[in-house]
Amino acid sequence: MLDLDRAYQVMSTARHMDERMWRLARSGRAHFAVPCSGHEAVGAGYGLALHPGHDYVAPHYRDLAAMLAIGLTPREVFLHFFARRDDPCAHGRQPYAHWGSRAHGVVSLQGPQPNHVTHGVGVAWGSKLLGTDQVTWIGFGDGGAQKGEVHEAMNIAAIHKLPCVFCVENNFYTQSVPSRLESARPEIAARAAGYGIPGEAVDGMDVKAMFDAATRAVERARAGEGPTFLEARCYRYLPNTSNDDDTRYRSRNEVEEARSRDPLLLLRQELDAARADAIDEEAMTVAAEAAEWAEAQPEGDPEEILEHTYALTS
Amino acid sequence: MSTHTLSLLEAVREGLAEEMERDPRVVLLGEDIGRLGGVFRATDGLVDRFGVERVIDTPMAENAIAGIAMGLAMRGLRPVAEIQFADFMHAAMDHIVGEAAKLRYRTAGDWTAPMVVRTAYGGGFRGGPYHSQSVEAFYSHVPGLKVMAPSFPDDAKGMLTAAIRDPDPVVFLEHKRTYRAITGPVPDGDHVVADGRLRVARPGDALTIVGWGMMLHEALAAADELAGDGIEAEVLDLRWLLPIDREGLLESLGRTGRLLVVHEDTLTMGLGAELCALAAEAGVLQAPPARVAMPDAGGIPVADAMEDAMLPNRHQVVEAARRLVSSPGNGEVRPGGPGRGSWFDAAIPEASSVIEVRLPEIHLELVMAAVAEACRAVPQSNATFTWEAIRLHDQLSVDLDLGPLSPARGGGTFTLVDYGLGGSLLGLPAVRPGQTAALRVGAVRDGRAYVALAVDHRAVDGADAGRFLATLKRCLEE
Repeated sequence: MLDLDRAYQVMSTARHMDERMWRLARSGRAHFAVPCSGHEAVGAGYGLALHPGHDYVAPHYRDLAAMLAIGLTPREVFLHFFARRDDPCAHGRQPYAHWGSRAHGVVSLQGPQPNHVTHGVGVAWGSKLLGTDQVTWIGFGDGGAQKGEVHEAMNIAAIHKLPCVFCVENNFYTQSVPSRLESARPEIAARAAGYGIPGEAVDGMDVKAMFDAATRAVERARAGEGPTFLEARCYRYLPNTSNDDDTRYRSRNEVEEARSRDPLLLLRQELDAARADAIDEEAMTVAAEAAEWAEAQPEGDPEEILEHTYALTS
Repeated sequence: MSTHTLSLLEAVREGLAEEMERDPRVVLLGEDIGRLGGVFRATDGLVDRFGVERVIDTPMAENAIAGIAMGLAMRGLRPVAEIQFADFMHAAMDHIVGEAAKLRYRTAGDWTAPMVVRTAYGGGFRGGPYHSQSVEAFYSHVPGLKVMAPSFPDDAKGMLTAAIRDPDPVVFLEHKRTYRAITGPVPDGDHVVADGRLRVARPGDALTIVGWGMMLHEALAAADELAGDGIEAEVLDLRWLLPIDREGLLESLGRTGRLLVVHEDTLTMGLGAELCALAAEAGVLQAPPARVAMPDAGGIPVADAMEDAMLPNRHQVVEAARRLVSSPGNGEVRPGGPGRGSWFDAAIPEASSVIEVRLPEIHLELVMAAVAEACRAVPQSNATFTWEAIRLHDQLSVDLDLGPLSPARGGGTFTLVDYGLGGSLLGLPAVRPGQTAALRVGAVRDGRAYVALAVDHRAVDGADAGRFLATLKRCLEE
């Protein structure tokens, strides 16, 4: 059963951090923001369906909520955001939202999308060969879904019934390119049939629906029955990144309309209003404190630029 | 040490099998490697010994083979991926170059990818443009990767074993013509070659020929032919294409001073360019380096005569080696004749010393006399260096360099540079070929000037230079 308070706390913290990051990047105090607003129910839904520290995640870059759900702290996330020396994801070497943490089972995310889908399949295959019951969650966007990378990886995972879940977070845009130019058939989950695995479209704005679908898919993978392909339909409220201008390719009406189904508003309706307010207030404080703390931490050290190319220099 | 004889292909297979036996984390994946045993049979019989879980036949998906190998490595396994032909590896390049090579760096060592990508490369068996390519230059440009290319069966087994045990991703290049053409002894038992060093495949002193794969064997055949002419070529089997064994290369070139690189890959931006640059930067070459490589053509044709004309061979190596050993070379002593005044020899190991002297503005005759006195006190500063002996000159003949409008004419035994009042306060002269010392007088200011002596350190040591300058100063100031 989904703990709704916990889900709301994860989503609200992600939202408050996200909005703060946006302002920090836009004011020149950080390099790069990658918004998650609108994707929180997807991240919280699957993050809370996994066993933290046991299962693996090859996440989508908009999965801040999932990272919080499986145990990255707001301070750790902001260290990554500011590319500080102790950034646990990339140690100042990759921009924000390139998740990674061996301790949390987060497979290092790269720049070119969606190469990590294939790495996730390899990790899942490894768990199977090692005889463990660990599941690997593989998230990617509807843009990434159009690459041959996903086809090769999904095909092989299906052949060998690997313990993984593929989840496309469909926000209907590849940065500026709308879904009608991504694919002649917009129902991405329908492709599952081509691989002989179950496919399911989920309301990615509804954290309960997302949690339920994720739980079913994870249990199926854990039972050795192979992968599931989920399509979580959601919407990105902010531009693609802090370097994007979404007014050039989508109307304000469209964005406002999508806001009427804001995943946080939908979940709030299920909660006690005072409780939700308290969670929001705490989330705002946590986000502010973590950002302030991380910004004051030491920057990546130029003395270390030649380290970690090979094992010998580690 | 007892050995057994294997072809290079059998050595690869033995290396794979023994490592799979030793380490249950080792898994193989690739196209047709199971029941068929690989298109070249490198994995023949392994699926029967180790099962379909560890010898995995994949769909035709090179990109996924490399990406999944990386995921397996991240999860703690030791994957060995086979890309059937190097020509198909371009499809896997994103995961090899963009991902595996950068994983350790981008996570500061949190995640690593200890994986091997084996592939068959090279032409010579009528494969055409897509079954013949050499790809080493692409991968040897990528920090984070190691690139290995064995030329003999013992190395094929030993280096492959090292590659599988390596904590970093390795691209392992097997020249397909060596698979069956090259056989040799392989040590019995656990055999690991992990030193990262090149191997002297044949010792010599006339020139250094560097190669790998099938071209190494062409170079060895060429060396046999050259020996018939009394030219003893040293042939180096590079083995590690990345990182390059710089020390081993320079050690050989320190003795031969001449470099010829042979590769089947195309010429421009090939590995030969890097090896030549490395040698040139180190200042060990006595003659310009040479390369024998495939020309910069759009592919390797399939027709017999066309492919034979395209690929480098032993005859081209012999020809290039002969040219290289007969080229005059910078390091050879050529006493300067007229017109040679501006000729420099970067190979002369120079040392310079500077003193300050009292000097009138008009001083040329005074300085000439002082130089003559100093050369009498230190005769090896008026000499010609050869590796056999330092030849002292009976007569002093000073080449005078008085500036761009009146440069040294050459032919002398000592060079004096003096640009007068318009010159710089302090400049270091260059020792000219055939001479062992040069003096430069700086511009006079307030009755004083800096005087710099440069010497060929092989003929004149620091104490000699000190005595030369002390004598000079005494003569000038008396």
